[in-house]
Amino acid sequence: MDFVPGGELSRRIREGDVSAESELIRQFEPGLRVLLRRRTGGDFGLLQDLVQETLLVVIQRLRGAGIEDPAKLAAFAAQTARNLAIASLRKTERQRTDVDSEATDRNADPSRGVEEIAADVESALAVRALLRELPQPRDRLMLKRFYLDDHDKEVICQELDLTEAAFNQALSRARKRFRQILEERGFSKRDLLNLGL
Amino acid sequence: MNQQQMEQYVSGRMSGEEARAFEDYCVANPEFARQVEFEQRLKAGIAQVARGNTAEFVRSQNPMRWSLAAAAGIVFVLFAGFFIYNLVPRAAPVIMAAVTPDTRNDGTPLRLALIRGNENTPELPKGLVRVAIAGLFDTGFQYSIALDRLDPKRNIDTVATLYGQHPASPVTLEVLVDSDQLEPGIYSLRVRKQAPSEEALDFEFLKH
Repeated sequence: MDFVPGGELSRRIREGDVSAESELIRQFEPGLRVLLRRRTGGDFGLLQDLVQETLLVVIQRLRGAGIEDPAKLAAFAAQTARNLAIASLRKTERQRTDVDSEATDRNADPSRGVEEIAADVESALAVRALLRELPQPRDRLMLKRFYLDDHDKEVICQELDLTEAAFNQALSRARKRFRQILEERGFSKRDLLNLGL
Repeated sequence: MNQQQMEQYVSGRMSGEEARAFEDYCVANPEFARQVEFEQRLKAGIAQVARGNTAEFVRSQNPMRWSLAAAAGIVFVLFAGFFIYNLVPRAAPVIMAAVTPDTRNDGTPLRLALIRGNENTPELPKGLVRVAIAGLFDTGFQYSIALDRLDPKRNIDTVATLYGQHPASPVTLEVLVDSDQLEPGIYSLRVRKQAPSEEALDFEFLKH
């Protein structure tokens, strides 16, 4: 997909070009998901809502008053997403007026939505499949040390007696395979039952 | 932007300003953002799998080895019969578990908080206990919770550990503890944000 500069998109949206709005959504959605995934604590439903809300705010702004510097459209969208995430967090905090109450803790916590659980399960299943495929126990341990324990590469390489090149290669293979598994989404019913989450 | 910066961002090692610049770049570069999202999902998936325990990451899963082990096991069982039955190790009981949507209201509630000047150690009720740890939590991160037993000399024996726990809210992190599986004594729940240079918080309680 060719990237259309922000200034060009802004101009076309202001002129009422609906296809430009679709392009804006295609271009900005992946980055907004990254930004908001970090701020929504695994709540996939909230993540989706905030991505949509951000895109809506940006499009409405471009249809109307426009933005000061159209070349910085991506930065404007990113800041809008951050503001909406903060507002959402504040709203949640306001709803928890009595944090010391057992009853509030029991009842006010929103249950995770079906979509969110599905997203978690999908990633977890892909990881399970990946772990099954990795031939060396050392590779599995390497992933655990890197992603779960957040150890530095140097420390892991020392501990597992790996060169940095071998580490990077194994990590790159694991990432590539994880992406393939997620894109294929070939999970069996047995996988779902065995997940036991 | 490069791979190293992507890893730094996903593991939370970037400063606020760097992270904002990185995010702006992601929004402007959808293909790079997709790579970052896969990295985020890989990290989240690993944390999810490790919630129960981390044995999956260290055990050997070579199919051939499993087949041989299974065959040897059958032969072994045939020859040893009843005696072997008594020797088969039972699955370890689950002492501590994550709170899921299904177990959100399970167990007797116990609230643990760090209160300055408070010298009373909370007591763990019998049976299944849903422990709500009160504090300020970053919902964008995951936390590890270690259940430690403290002997009179304050030596620590870690009984169970959970990784990849999401706070139920910015002020609560919940976990289920099976009190009946614990020997009497003083225990501590050690909570640590899974990010570099983060100090752990300890919440003590008593089991009669």
